[in-house]
Amino acid sequence: MSDLVFLAASLAFFFVAVLYVYGCQSLKGGRDDA
Amino acid sequence: MTPNGWLQIAVFFALLLLAAKPMGLYMARVYERKKTWLDPVLGPVERLLYCITGVNPDAEMRWTEYGAAMLVFSCATLLLTYALERLQHAIPLWNPQHLAAVEPYLAWNTAASFTTNTNWQSYVPETTMSYLTQMAGLATHNFWSAATGMALAIAFIRGIARRESKTLGNFWVDLTRGTLWVLLPICVVYALALVSQGVVQNLKPYDTATLVEPQTVTAPGADGKPVTTRVTTQTIAQGPTASQEAIKMLGTNGGGFFNANSAHPFENPTPLSNMLQMLSIFLIPAGLCVTLGKMVGSPGHGWAVFAAMSVLWFAGVATCYWAESQPNPLLHGVDQRTSLGGVSPGGNMEGKEVRFGIANSALFATVTTDASCGAVNSMHDSFMPLGGMVPLANIMMGEIVFGGVGAGMYGMLIFVVLSVFIAGLMVGRTPEYLGKKVQAYEVQLSMLYVLIFPLIILGFAAVSVLLPAGLAGISNHGPHGLSQVLYAYTSAAGNNGSAFAGINANTHWYNSTMGIAMLSGRFLMIVPMLAVAGSLATKKIVPPSLGTFPVNSPLFTVLLVSVILIVGALTFFPALSLGPILEHLLLRSGISFS
Repeated sequence: MSDLVFLAASLAFFFVAVLYVYGCQSLKGGRDDA
Repeated sequence: MTPNGWLQIAVFFALLLLAAKPMGLYMARVYERKKTWLDPVLGPVERLLYCITGVNPDAEMRWTEYGAAMLVFSCATLLLTYALERLQHAIPLWNPQHLAAVEPYLAWNTAASFTTNTNWQSYVPETTMSYLTQMAGLATHNFWSAATGMALAIAFIRGIARRESKTLGNFWVDLTRGTLWVLLPICVVYALALVSQGVVQNLKPYDTATLVEPQTVTAPGADGKPVTTRVTTQTIAQGPTASQEAIKMLGTNGGGFFNANSAHPFENPTPLSNMLQMLSIFLIPAGLCVTLGKMVGSPGHGWAVFAAMSVLWFAGVATCYWAESQPNPLLHGVDQRTSLGGVSPGGNMEGKEVRFGIANSALFATVTTDASCGAVNSMHDSFMPLGGMVPLANIMMGEIVFGGVGAGMYGMLIFVVLSVFIAGLMVGRTPEYLGKKVQAYEVQLSMLYVLIFPLIILGFAAVSVLLPAGLAGISNHGPHGLSQVLYAYTSAAGNNGSAFAGINANTHWYNSTMGIAMLSGRFLMIVPMLAVAGSLATKKIVPPSLGTFPVNSPLFTVLLVSVILIVGALTFFPALSLGPILEHLLLRSGISFS
């Protein structure tokens, strides 16, 4: 049971981290800083 | 403090200075995919790996793709290590002591720890991990996590160097080349050098020695009543130590093969092995300063960053050496060994190896926490309050003083962006960094990077000192107990891995919360860093003008050091004042806590 919890927790963390990548990207929005 | 001690510290820095340039130029060639003398051997291996994995080495990645690839890789290797730990008892390979499966909380904490280059160890390695787990689960992670950090630093440097580019390189190529060209060749030679000094390297079962002087030990039994036993033999752990030791130091990982880490005579037997270990912690991070200068076309900028790191390193080692050379005021006059003279080194020798003495213990503690290594050759918990504050403060600054392999460089570059921004505010111009305008997006994400770190540390530490589960692990009352908790979460979030070893962190509370702190401290900081790199890569280069702030000058170095100290001091001073600073003041007043 604990193994499944830790498997799920790990996958959840990295899934959120991937969303966070796209969240940081979206912060830039339509700004053209160049 | 002695002239001999200072001489050893000076020799260490001189050797580092000599090694930084060739190392940095070599890494620049490796990551720019230029010819090196190892190509005839490693080129075919690299091509074979790409062929097997289906990687196109010429495909470039945007920062989002680079970050996603890094996250997927880290997730997969974390789960692999967790599975290996849980199944080690069932694998009939390299487990001569027939060690059982690792308990789930501990296995997850350890998998998170090694994936994030932290190498915090809530366990005693020689009684917990099989040789297979040590080699295939932990030592491999030492390579992977180090190569990942280096790849990320190179991605950031490319972000500064490239003009109007949407990409930062290829994560898989950077990971492979860092492992094959940088880490593996050095580790092969380094491991043999360690073996020559007496570091063990075998797959034998543990030895048993008969004690010359048998010991009588009284300890609580299963029913809680004291049980007295006569101990006549000692088990002497063995294992493939040198091979793990080499990457443990070079990759700033820090996880000991034995519980005593680099204080164990099988891991760090001689003063020469000690010097090699300290140098190898700083070798790649110092070299990366030269790599930075080379790749961005401004060698002076690389050396300015090197100078800032050196100033902070020297301030740390001088403070720690001074603090540890002071006798404990409660023992001074009572125990003559606290005074310098004869064969006594004076000062505070508690928790230190006699063969290393005070100078090399203070230097090791400073180096291992300036970087994100976490290996120890002395017990930081036994340092004087201000001596112990130095490693703690080093990690709190973000481990940017040379820092972890790659992690130190990209952390420092975030501070460079902030310094340039502040310099721009001072003169009322849009800040520029090597010809690139630093604008709102980069500053917002740099601040996100800087703020996540204290949020993790102070948040978890605050909750832990309020909950019974957190308080249960503390071995000292008063400010030292707070320092233990603070150090644990600082070490976890900073991916350092060293400990105030008095804390018992092998509990469900600490194993799970520190696992979260390690993962958050690594990946939630990498993402905004990569976003800054990706944004900088897209920008045009503006020609320098009279108003451009030069980033290769002593003034820049002073500004950078000031920004780092101000950010660190403002963020963590209240917590430090309740921990080591208060302990120092109380100790001077004759008050201590059990």
